[in-house]
Formats: sequence, C-alpha cells, structure tokens
Amino acid sequence: MSAEATLWLTFIAIGLASTLPRASFIVLGGRVRLPPVLQRALRYAPAAALAAIVVPDILLVGGDVAPLNPKIAAAIAAIAAAALSRNPWLPFIAGMAVLAGYRLLPG
Amino acid sequence: MSVSPFRQGARAGFLVFLPVSVGLLPWALVTGMAMIGVGFTPLQAMGMNLIVFAGTAQLGTLPLIVAGAPMWLIVLTALALNLRFVIFSAAIAPGFRGIGAPLRWFSGHLLTDGVFACTLEKMLKVEDARWRLGYFLAPSLWCWLLWQTFTLIGVLAAGSIPKDWSLEFMATVALLVLLVPMARQRPMLVAAIASGATAVLLRGMPLRLGLIVAIGVGIIAGFGAERVQGKEEAA
Repeated sequence: MSAEATLWLTFIAIGLASTLPRASFIVLGGRVRLPPVLQRALRYAPAAALAAIVVPDILLVGGDVAPLNPKIAAAIAAIAAAALSRNPWLPFIAGMAVLAGYRLLPG
Repeated sequence: MSVSPFRQGARAGFLVFLPVSVGLLPWALVTGMAMIGVGFTPLQAMGMNLIVFAGTAQLGTLPLIVAGAPMWLIVLTALALNLRFVIFSAAIAPGFRGIGAPLRWFSGHLLTDGVFACTLEKMLKVEDARWRLGYFLAPSLWCWLLWQTFTLIGVLAAGSIPKDWSLEFMATVALLVLLVPMARQRPMLVAAIASGATAVLLRGMPLRLGLIVAIGVGIIAGFGAERVQGKEEAA
C-alpha cells in the first residue's frame, strides 16, 4: 500500500476513534449505562494522554532530555498565559515569542 | 404567524454559543498551521480536518503519524484523547430522546466541548424534541463551519511563514492550554505528572509504545490520588 493511501486510512481510523466515543451514548440512548467506577477512572485519560504527548515534546531534543532547551521556557510562558489570562490567543503569542526570542539571541 | 420550534431552538442555541465560539479561532488556525508544519499537503491537511473534526485528536496524533507509528497505536492514542466525549455523550444523551438514529449519529459526530458545555442544561430540561434538535444543531453546525474555515486559513497562511519559526510547536502549546485547567484538580495533576514522566522515561521503547504505557500509568496514578484525597477528606 502506498504511503499516501496509508495516510488517508490513518485519517479514517482517527476519525472513527473520534466519532464513535462522541456518538456512543447519544446513539444508544438510555439502554446502556457506564459503570461509575469506570466513568471516574476514564476522567483521567485525557490529562494522561495530553501529558504523555506534550512532556516529551518539551523536554527532549533529538531523543535526549535537554533540561535547558528553549522549548521549556516557551512552555512555561504559554502555561502562565493560559493560567492567568482568559485571552485565547495569548498562550500562543507568549510561547512562540519566547521561542523566537531565543533564536534572535546572539550565540 | 408562529416560528417553528426547531427554528426557535436553533436561534436560542446559536446565541448561547456565539460568544464562546470565538475561543475556537486560535485553535483552528494553529491546527491548520501544525498540519502543514509536519509536512502535510493542503489537501491532506483539509482531508484530515473534514474526516476527523477533532482538534485534540488531530494535534495529538500528528507527531505519531510523522514518526511512522503503527496504526493501532495512533488509534489508541486518539481514543484516549477522545474518551472525555464518552462521558459528555452519556451526560447529554437524554437530550436526544424522541430524535431518530440518523440525526443522533450526525449530532454525535458534531459533539464538541464548547457546544456540550453551553447546551447541556436546556437539552435535559426542554420537552419539545424539535426545539432540542435545533438548539443542539445550530451551534454545532456553526462550530463546524468556523472550525473548517479557520483551519483552512491556517493551512493557507502556514505556507508563507518561514520554516525556522517551528510552527509544530504551536501544537504543543495548544495541547498545553488544554492541560492547564485540568491540572487545577490535584488528582488530574498527579495523572499528568505520572504520565508525562513515564513517557519521558520510556522514550526508548519501540513503536512509541511508551506512550500507551504512560497513559495507563497516568490513569492509575490519578485514580489512586483521587482515592487518597477522598480518604483525607473523609477523615
């Protein structure tokens, strides 16, 4: 199978993995209920998945932990902006500005 | 002259969601730019956007697609990112009583965080099924239109931004922004830290398997922290 076809199949698979959870209970109606314990455990899945993607993105450079890389400062700026302001644009501006600032620094 | 209940509901739903929908714009722009940033053609980027219609799942799976991770791992990650919608779907499901299966599927596909939060209360309260359908569909379709339009703008704009601006980092910022309000709850923060640390430690695992292990560790850690917190509060 060509790389192009694989990519489109991947899109369809991600699409199914997105629509099925949303449609699940809306389509099933009152016929099925999620056990409360499972429901509470599942609440942690999004935060866990986000962190599992984002933390390596920020800490690693070329596969190694780089504790002083510019992405860390950029991430801190973005987190501060998101925590302190309700402006939806600010975290992006802050994060990208810090990253750009490092690039402009001499050396 | 009377306005149909569907249109009355549609107007009410649109108005309640309109101010919230502005928050969608940076997300859509960033998603468009990030998809181009990882090397998709504009056609591939908009194809993904139309097929998937889920910002978090799109941004979260981009690095896996680029790394050539196996399909099942990409799907599991997308599922984990979308699991919150199982809970949303269960909560709003009673609001679709009296509405046929095709429209339920359509509504399910369109379900988003913002529309869910804005419409839940009245979806559960109002009797008239036609009113409820309008109340849900109008903001959902508006959200869909805004999302597709501004992602397209992001896709087109990304081409004229220099490569060394690291556009892919916008995806990281977008996911961080989602994580911040979650991390205000202690067990959620524990889940995030445990999962993030595990993902870094297991980065050497083949096929990015460490990601799935990390998500599992995070869920267990969060659930454990909730139990501990519950006991402390009970004591």
